[in-house]
Amino acid sequence: MTVLITGAAGGLGRALANECGRRRYNLFLTDINAEGLSCIKQGLERQFDITVATAACDLTNKESVDKLLDIIDKHEIRFDMLLNAAGMDFEGEFIRRDREQLVKIVLLNNAATLRITHAILKRRRPGRQFTIVFVSSLASIVPMPLKATYAASKRFLLDFAAALRQELRKDDVNVLTLCPGGMVTTKDTMLGIKAQGLLGEATTNPLESVSRITIDRALAGKSIYVPGILNRILSFLARIIPRTWAAAAVYRRWNTAQSKWLSISS
Amino acid sequence: MNTVVITGASSGIGLETALLLTQKGYNVLGIGRSEINCNRAKEWILSKNPDANITFYLADLMQQGEITRAADEINEYLNEKCNGKLYALINNAGCVRSWYMTTNEGYEQQFALNHLAGFLLTYKLMPALLKAGGRVIMTGSQSHKGIKINWDNIMLQKRYNPLTAYKQSKLCNMLFAKGLNDRFAIHGIRAYVVDPGLVKTDIGNKETGALVNFIWSLRKRHGVPPSVPAETYAFLCDKKNAPEGLYYCLCKEKKYSRQVTSENADRLFKLSERLCGVHYGEVLKI
Ligand SMILES: NC(=O)c1ccc[n+]([C@@H]2O[C@H](COP(=O)([O-])OP(=O)(O)OC[C@H]3O[C@@H](n4cnc5c(N)ncnc54)[C@H](OP(=O)(O)O)[C@@H]3O)[C@@H](O)[C@H]2O)c1
Repeated sequence: MTVLITGAAGGLGRALANECGRRRYNLFLTDINAEGLSCIKQGLERQFDITVATAACDLTNKESVDKLLDIIDKHEIRFDMLLNAAGMDFEGEFIRRDREQLVKIVLLNNAATLRITHAILKRRRPGRQFTIVFVSSLASIVPMPLKATYAASKRFLLDFAAALRQELRKDDVNVLTLCPGGMVTTKDTMLGIKAQGLLGEATTNPLESVSRITIDRALAGKSIYVPGILNRILSFLARIIPRTWAAAAVYRRWNTAQSKWLSISS
Repeated sequence: MNTVVITGASSGIGLETALLLTQKGYNVLGIGRSEINCNRAKEWILSKNPDANITFYLADLMQQGEITRAADEINEYLNEKCNGKLYALINNAGCVRSWYMTTNEGYEQQFALNHLAGFLLTYKLMPALLKAGGRVIMTGSQSHKGIKINWDNIMLQKRYNPLTAYKQSKLCNMLFAKGLNDRFAIHGIRAYVVDPGLVKTDIGNKETGALVNFIWSLRKRHGVPPSVPAETYAFLCDKKNAPEGLYYCLCKEKKYSRQVTSENADRLFKLSERLCGVHYGEVLKI
């Protein structure tokens, strides 16, 4: 099993890499952070006695991706799985945020994900089943004021993946969309969850089990994975109440949580 | 003047120990991760003891690259100022987590900081310790009891339980000290673990979730001030002839878990060498 993981130097990507390492999969890791990549490569090789290939790449940059593909083709690497973990978040009121940073969310979460998915599908190992995971978010289930761009970019992935899944069915391709709630990946996300109090903690998903179950379900051909009972209830409610109401409720909640978060982190 | 390195000297037990050792005339090199906290700690020590010899080094000991860098800086200092001799190393920095979080190497954070950081730092400073016939002291805990090392899943990636991860990391402290004695006692090095008891520090309130925070805030009220365990470190450093025991609390030897065997210590030693990319045997060759 050969797996390509994007965004592998941090957060969920690194946790997925650890999970694949535990399963002794062959890994090809990419991330924009070259130093982080060499750390996780070293860690995985020491822990699991596997070989790990890495190449730093800015997925939003076409030339950078072409270089990555050159390396892959030169070594004739072919894949059985693609884990699209690269993505970014950038919270706050739309009009108060930096314009280019906002555009970057869509460039990375959407445009770059399409680019790498297309490229790696073309480089799947022939005659074998192929598996793709898209990392959407619980934020994709309703329009989210104060996270408007981010949530919409995650909605894009949710809908895109559901459609792509049908197109690729005949070609023996599994497509899974992961919709996690908060996950404690960095000190900042941890402080964010702390600011949301006990509800924040209750919607938080443990990184290690999300990683394990994501790969299990993707291999089993499931279409969507929402970790945690509470998150599944929330996502069910979101489907039955009007979207304008949901958006208003979200606005009220985020507004207080964010001002608290800003006061903690400043 | 004898030089002592203390990790996590910017607050809690490490800070009080640093103060006490400066008062006893040691030259103290502290390591901390935050510049603000280190500066504040240094000022506090100097306010209590204006003659203190205290220097701080900054390093996030969760990252192996930073451990190596800090160790290089310290070795340079020791070579220049102390004839290359380090009298004692106190591996005290530690953390508590509520969730599975990893370091840049992808290692579980409590295991990485509470055990591996000390393992790698000790390796890097071993030549200086050997020159001085030095002592290595780990901050352990009673919570090392009632648990075994989960050898197949040492980072607890399958079924993470934060308390289990903490307890296991403290058992690792015991096994590391045992492993050091098995290998280096004949070369004049002694290793110890101090049980500080329940101590009133903020350890459970740093980077933890609401639940752990709450529980720790209640628990720490019953704790002793960090100046109490500081005495035990001073006791272990001061004794002219190195004490023979392994595990100390309130300056007295204490019983420890039956899991602390040479066999387990060897196994952890080998695993830790692999995870840090080092071989202790090489220290003896130079
Ligand atoms: N408190 C207790 O009841 C108790 C009981 C048994 C054992 N222990 C052990 O005692 C030791 C010290 O704990 P404490 O209670 O004194 O807690 P503490 O007050 O939180 O002290 C921990 C020290 O480690 C430092 N540190 C944390 N993360 C670090 C990192 N990544 N790199 C470098 N330094 C780092 C902290 O720096 P900052 O100042 O920047 O936070 C601080 O100086 C730990 O090993 C703990 O397991 C404590």
